[in-house]
Amino acid sequence: MAAALLFSMVFFIIMFSDLECDYINPIDLCNKLNTFVLPEMLAHAFLTLCFLLTGQWISFLVNAPLVGYNVNKILTKNHMYDATEIFRTLSGHKKECFIKLGLYLVSFFYYLYRMILALISGKAGRATVLPLDDCKMNDLDLFGLKMDD
Amino acid sequence: MSQPALPAGWAAQWDAQANRYLFVDTINNRSQWEQPTGPAIGAGGPGANGIGPGSSSTPIPQANAQQQQPVASSNPRRRQYPTAQMAQAYAEGGAVAATGGPGTGYGAGVGGGVSTPGVSGGYSDLSQGQGQYPQMQVPQNQGPAQLFTPGAALAGGQGQQQGGAGGYFAPANPGFADQKAFSVAGGVDPNQQQQQQQGGVGGMMGNMVNQFSNMGMNGGSTPGYGQGQAQQPMSMGGHGSHSLVNLNLIGLQPSVPDLARDPPAPLLPQGACISNNPAANAHHSYQRSTINAIPTTASLLGKTKIPLALILTPYRSVQEGDEPVPVVSDTVIARCRRCRSYINPYVTFIEGGARWKCCMCNLSNEVPQLFDWNNQTNQPADRWSRAELNCGVVEFVAPQEYMIRPPQPPVYVFVIDVSQHAVQSGMVATAARTILETLDRIPNSDQRTKVGILAVSDAMHFFCLPAGESEPSMLVVSDIDDVYLPKPTDLLVNLTEARPAIESVLGRLSDMFKESATTGSALGPAMQTAHKLIGTIGGKIITLTATLPTLGEGALKARDDPKVLGTSKESSLLQAASAFYKTFSIECARNQVTVDMFLFSASYTDVASLRCLPRYTGGQVYYYPGFNATRSEDAIKFATEFGTVLASPIGLEAVIRVRGSRGLRMSAFHGNFFTRSTDLLSLPTVPIDQSYAIELQIEDPLTQPFVVLQTAVLHTTCYGERRIRVMTTAYPTTTSMSEVFASADQNAIMTLLSNKAVERAMSSKLEDARDAVINKVVDILKVYKDTMTAANGGASAQLTVPENLKLMPLLASAMVKHVGFRESSQIPPDLRAYAHALLSTLPTQSLLPYLHPQFYSLHNMPAEAGTVGENGVVLPPSLNLTSERLERHGLFLIEDGQNIFLWVGQEAVPQLVMDVFDLPNYQELKGGKYTLPVLENPFSQRVNAIVAKTREMRRNPYWQHLYVVKADAEPALRNWALSLLIEDRVDKTASYSQFLALIKDKVGVRQTRVRK
Repeated sequence: MAAALLFSMVFFIIMFSDLECDYINPIDLCNKLNTFVLPEMLAHAFLTLCFLLTGQWISFLVNAPLVGYNVNKILTKNHMYDATEIFRTLSGHKKECFIKLGLYLVSFFYYLYRMILALISGKAGRATVLPLDDCKMNDLDLFGLKMDD
Repeated sequence: MSQPALPAGWAAQWDAQANRYLFVDTINNRSQWEQPTGPAIGAGGPGANGIGPGSSSTPIPQANAQQQQPVASSNPRRRQYPTAQMAQAYAEGGAVAATGGPGTGYGAGVGGGVSTPGVSGGYSDLSQGQGQYPQMQVPQNQGPAQLFTPGAALAGGQGQQQGGAGGYFAPANPGFADQKAFSVAGGVDPNQQQQQQQGGVGGMMGNMVNQFSNMGMNGGSTPGYGQGQAQQPMSMGGHGSHSLVNLNLIGLQPSVPDLARDPPAPLLPQGACISNNPAANAHHSYQRSTINAIPTTASLLGKTKIPLALILTPYRSVQEGDEPVPVVSDTVIARCRRCRSYINPYVTFIEGGARWKCCMCNLSNEVPQLFDWNNQTNQPADRWSRAELNCGVVEFVAPQEYMIRPPQPPVYVFVIDVSQHAVQSGMVATAARTILETLDRIPNSDQRTKVGILAVSDAMHFFCLPAGESEPSMLVVSDIDDVYLPKPTDLLVNLTEARPAIESVLGRLSDMFKESATTGSALGPAMQTAHKLIGTIGGKIITLTATLPTLGEGALKARDDPKVLGTSKESSLLQAASAFYKTFSIECARNQVTVDMFLFSASYTDVASLRCLPRYTGGQVYYYPGFNATRSEDAIKFATEFGTVLASPIGLEAVIRVRGSRGLRMSAFHGNFFTRSTDLLSLPTVPIDQSYAIELQIEDPLTQPFVVLQTAVLHTTCYGERRIRVMTTAYPTTTSMSEVFASADQNAIMTLLSNKAVERAMSSKLEDARDAVINKVVDILKVYKDTMTAANGGASAQLTVPENLKLMPLLASAMVKHVGFRESSQIPPDLRAYAHALLSTLPTQSLLPYLHPQFYSLHNMPAEAGTVGENGVVLPPSLNLTSERLERHGLFLIEDGQNIFLWVGQEAVPQLVMDVFDLPNYQELKGGKYTLPVLENPFSQRVNAIVAKTREMRRNPYWQHLYVVKADAEPALRNWALSLLIEDRVDKTASYSQFLALIKDKVGVRQTRVRK
């Protein structure tokens, strides 16, 4: 899912560059992008929720501000791209996309790292392999301790 | 009272109103009531210090020129065309300096300011130079100049005179290029370029011109000048500059007639233009820049705080007396390969004329083969006579490559509200009659124009108008959720072929719906249907509604909560209430459909939401609050404006692109259009006389001595021809801050600020918009004070402004008091939204009176006012907008381009009332909308002539209502009229002097803060 978010951002940025180079009409652009805005936000919110429920505090805290930002955007009703204003706000949109891209990239590798860590420690401790992102250091230690017992 | 003795440089002028003498400083036209004691400024009096540091500015040229104008009481025309003698005086004053070389000419007159005497000497010493010019001795190099580019040899003599005279003389004095001019020119050719903006180059000038340029180039014999030229080939200092004259605004009455003054002309370096046509730079009514000398770097621009922007009115109407736009019809269009700019008078021809070098990107391009060919006579032609090399504004007939599809016909669909209120107010009947009467005037020269009519209440009524039949049928569709066309043909018909049917429908429209009792209006779905009807062709949807749309998509609610007014939430009422209007307008823009809105309503109509449609489709809103056709004034106003709009030629399927020299980038766009790409504005139709503002950024330092800005409007005319209108203006670049200040155009700056303020008001708060305007003015003046004046200490008692920006504070104060921005809880949001629509679309010419109304005193107007003079009806001198000018026995006229108020003082003598209104006395007179009777007495005829002139003199379709305001009755109307007197204090708003004090404090305060 993190990978999907990553790709969506890359897609957004490519589209914005297209617009700047006049390859695409702002109306088409906004129609296209607007279909992805909400799914992207929902996916991100869902992921964050998972972190919260499974107690992945670090990941949750990293993602929470972005969720808040998105919710705020929806509440003030400017989450959609507006074809009439797009050129005035283009630089802002691009900046936002790059920041999101960076965030997603970092967190993607972090999740990957955590997953591998979980797999390794899971194997080492002969614990059941936990699904992606559902592990936590403390849990692993607990498992480890239990196994030792 | 006999005329008092005066020191040098002063003139006394009898002011009939005040019954005393007014003293005018003939050099810079400062006027005062007190008798002067010292000599005038040019002779070293106060203000001679007015020259910015480091600039080689000349202390008078342009300020001086107009300043011979008398005080308000005399004929305004004299201001522009002073007598020939005066003009000569200028030239001769220059001659003194030219012959005598630096030193002889100025004497005491120069003051401290002339740092490059060679350049500026010519003007400075009028006060003493008159009448004693020695014999001219400048050697004249008589060899005819053989230059390939004739424009390089620009009229020296004339240029000089105009330089000195601010460019107003030439038209009045065609015979002006006399011998004296010659001698002057050699030295001061920097000013030649002026001549491009100003008119009146006789054909005989050509020869002389060449001689001068040679003189200028070989100018060794005039030491001061020659050197000046040689040493600073690039810097603008060498090219003559606008003077920077300081002015302390505190305690000074703003000089209202100066509002109509032309902006400082761009003083181009010599040889920039290959044509010596005065129209080689586009006239400022087409395209004007906020600064007429572009700073070379972004940091310099940033330092001055003056916004750099271009104000465009590409499709300006051509009135009587205006030159029509020349058309290049042979479809030979030379464009730069790299930057795609069009060939213009500022390119240079190289390699013997086989190639041309682009003035924007310096790329050398081939000259098209047929460039020197006349394809009508099939003979070689002179390329120098081609319009695109001589005129700043030209139209090219575009060949096939510029078309996506064959030129479309003009299409008009009328969506007419026929609900109860609309019918009762008489809107339907008036509209139908107006359309009927205008059918002949709708652009239809090639018989292709298509028309459709759609009536809407709670259901949609289509009119089936079969060609050749006079019996139309009506189809009613009451399903407003699912938009469809009930019939594939005959709904949109050719105007010529189906004329009888159209006439029959329009004739009966009002009767058909006489019994209409529906109150709802399904306007949204109706417009969607109309869009569906013409979406494949494009064109105009003209919507007339008197009811708030309440059904179907785009339904709106009456959201004008009086409690919100005057609070920070008010701006939410200025935004669209429903997203439908934005999405629909985008849809329209995409299919080349424009929506024009005519709104009539006694109650809330939500202009703010409906305004969205014209806003993004290149249309316009017209708003008639409280419309009632039984009042003949209302009906006439609407019918006149509606008829004008219908009859005006429109451009279809247009795109506008502005190109600038390398280093310049268009960064933001304001106006009614859809931005289709980073620098491409798309307009489904270009209405006449609409203005757009485009902000510029300096990305890279500018190295050229001048830059060129070119606007191209690719459009289809309503006569079925694809055309490109190209407007080119060249501006000099400068490295000097004083030059930037001296060439700033206050009117253009205010046009831009009003555009930005409107956007600010919608995106955040009205208060922010007001603050933005004030802060901008404060910023500019603060920088000016810090850098250009010898300011010692923080707060001072003066507010120093450059002479050419002296009305900026007045206009800013007018803007924050304008109905669009005023701090008040009484202004209905509809009025505000309409004001915003106007503030962001009116061209500068109409915007100025809209911000700063004209105010005339009629009871004691000069004898020639109201009679037909050389330029049509002569208007009385305009007064300062303060109620001090109102007299209890007087008759005054206040007009802001939208309304005219005729103020009658309560002690008006019965004879006056009799003469103007045909009523026995003041008590009989009723206030309100009024039609002036034309009576058999000269005063009535003159007043009527002034009112008529006021209604037609500007380039816009508006027909102003005339209100009679009695000084002691109808407080609402009275307050409305008084609120236009913007120099006064009206409830919470500050008076002009308070506003100035506020600005002065802010300028001072900020300065001390910086110093700490």
